[in-house]
Amino acid sequence: MRWTAQDFSTFTLSKEYIDTVLIPMVPISFDERGKDAASGSEFIQMIAIEIERQFKGRILLLPSFVYFLNFSDQDKKMLLTKWHHELTKKSFKHLFFISSDQSWKSIVEQLKGELIWIPSIPLEHLDGTNKMAIIDNQVKQLLNFFVEKWQAAEDVNA
Amino acid sequence: MSEQRVTRRQFLSYTIMGVGGFMAVASVMPMLRMAVDPVLQVEAGGDFIATTVKVDELTNEPTRVDFQFEQEDGWYTSNVTQTAWVYKDDKGEIIALSPVCKHLGCTVNWNSNKDHPNQFFCPCHKGLYEKDGTNVPGTPPRGPLDRYKYKVKDGVLYLSRRASAVRGA
Repeated sequence: MRWTAQDFSTFTLSKEYIDTVLIPMVPISFDERGKDAASGSEFIQMIAIEIERQFKGRILLLPSFVYFLNFSDQDKKMLLTKWHHELTKKSFKHLFFISSDQSWKSIVEQLKGELIWIPSIPLEHLDGTNKMAIIDNQVKQLLNFFVEKWQAAEDVNA
Repeated sequence: MSEQRVTRRQFLSYTIMGVGGFMAVASVMPMLRMAVDPVLQVEAGGDFIATTVKVDELTNEPTRVDFQFEQEDGWYTSNVTQTAWVYKDDKGEIIALSPVCKHLGCTVNWNSNKDHPNQFFCPCHKGLYEKDGTNVPGTPPRGPLDRYKYKVKDGVLYLSRRASAVRGA
């Protein structure tokens, strides 16, 4: 599901099936790190969209969590804590953040959340088919990760 | 000098007829144009999209076929990638199934779960479908997988842009 009116209606009708939230983390910067930040954002968003396409019926893909690269770790932690708090209040069983920025790792761990960290691959010089092949390849590996997490949670409940 | 004099009455009626006729044509022409428009329209490649698959290469094992086309949404043109699971059934008929689960829209895969060989499996809520797309009772999906329409031209498989629902397949 995506954050659209139509998907939201489906979501309210089938809440019990949609137990997973995916949030892409997107950095903004206008200094020399800007280009990498933009490239990373593009990559992460494409991955997130493809994951949503595969798991539409169980994952709700939220609009990106946007932050500035010059935020301090403290700011970042505070922001993320608020997001985390709001999202765990609801009935979501699984909460995944996806980012190509390693600095989130420890922050997410402290919150006992799940961070999918993928090193970004620059896609700007690739044409459509090659781009798709790379995204496809990355996503394929992630799909198993999701299935395993779901399975593990079911095994605990069983 | 010509002897034919135009009377005031004649002059007025000619003028009115001329202007009126012009106005009538101006209003009827667009209507006519619209009425014949479908005939004039160039056929935009039809509704079938060429895949990269040759029909002879198809076996009775479902294989994944991706195909792309451009879609206009308002003034925004986007590239749409569609996927189909294509195989030949016992009679040699081509079957092109949509991978979109009829439960909540996840993507199903052929033969991907060890416990359910030779079935389509939905990883989200464990929906199952037989090879012909029929949903297995007792799993979440309520209906069979949609099917694409297909065409064969010069040995190449063409698929419709959208899959449509089958009843009692």
